[in-house]
Amino acid sequence: MTVKVKSREEILAYLRETLVELFELKPEQIVPEAKLYEDLDIDSIDAVDLILKLKDLTGRKIQPQTFKHVRTVGDVIDAIESLMAQSPAA
Amino acid sequence: MTTVGRSINHVWRVFATGFVFVLFGLGALVISLTMFPVLRLSTRDPDVARRRIQRGMQYTFHFYIEVMRWLGIMTYEVHGVERLREQGRLVVANHPTLIDVVLLVSLMPEVDCIVKRGLWRNPFLRWPVIWASYIPNSEGEELIEGCADTLRRGHSLLVFPEGTRTVPGKAMRMQRGAAHIALAADVELLPVTVTCDPATLFKGNPWYRVPSRRFHMKVVVGEPVPASAFRHEGELPARAARRLTQWLLAYYGATESDATKHESQTEKSATANAPMVSALS
Repeated sequence: MTVKVKSREEILAYLRETLVELFELKPEQIVPEAKLYEDLDIDSIDAVDLILKLKDLTGRKIQPQTFKHVRTVGDVIDAIESLMAQSPAA
Repeated sequence: MTTVGRSINHVWRVFATGFVFVLFGLGALVISLTMFPVLRLSTRDPDVARRRIQRGMQYTFHFYIEVMRWLGIMTYEVHGVERLREQGRLVVANHPTLIDVVLLVSLMPEVDCIVKRGLWRNPFLRWPVIWASYIPNSEGEELIEGCADTLRRGHSLLVFPEGTRTVPGKAMRMQRGAAHIALAADVELLPVTVTCDPATLFKGNPWYRVPSRRFHMKVVVGEPVPASAFRHEGELPARAARRLTQWLLAYYGATESDATKHESQTEKSATANAPMVSALS
């Protein structure tokens, strides 16, 4: 499967849609500065669901370590960006 | 009571409370070396042993509660105790004091509990917790699955959804683990309300700072509610868990606006600083 590299705006739009659908959040809450745990109330169990969804977006297997230091929506975008910039996983 | 009488009573309750703490500690050691091994050896069937050991826990904790009552440091009342004796339910309770678990277990003949996982490395307590089939407080999915599994086998499980004692004067906060457990196992929740007046043994209150008078604990057992009532068809558990948790907060009198107000504060807890997937690694 070929996945074309997406812009940060596109990734944010996808995240916004996903988070609203998964966790009943309001679209305007999903901004790069929003903290996942404190502002969006996303816990470690929710994170599992979210990572599964991100797998669909990137078309890659995601190692939990990739998200080890993720705390904000912006961090998630960074992580996805760097994942998608890598050469496609074997 | 005269002033002198009051201060004598105060000194007595500090002494008695300290004595009870020593009794709890030594008692755990003694029964781990006597009653629990005897109960384990009393049958070949591990499941029969589990039930006998849980019954042993009930009697032991009932004894502790009666000692505290007899020493004059507490009184208590219970409403709806018969509902605590039915099996296969997720019993959820608020958590005002250090001894809630002692009081609740003293009322339940058979109940699984979540215990500090460090106990599995404790040379004395390791075997009792294994024999009683208590559940270690691992994280995330692993804990949810362990708990759902015991409920699916028809056991009852006691959980404090706040995950820690309530901090007095602050809005109640709940983790969503209890909701996830109930939804995964598709069982009924049995909400229990515990109150303690005057407040004592709450989070951050040292044992020797005894209340102004003997404290009174009240346990009110609510009506069972099926977890499936919160689940809409074709929906991920994440949403249903949020609804169920909101319902529980409302049940315990924490209004939604309280919860949001609290969340908007920037104070951080240890968990708040944890990376989001620490549970996965």
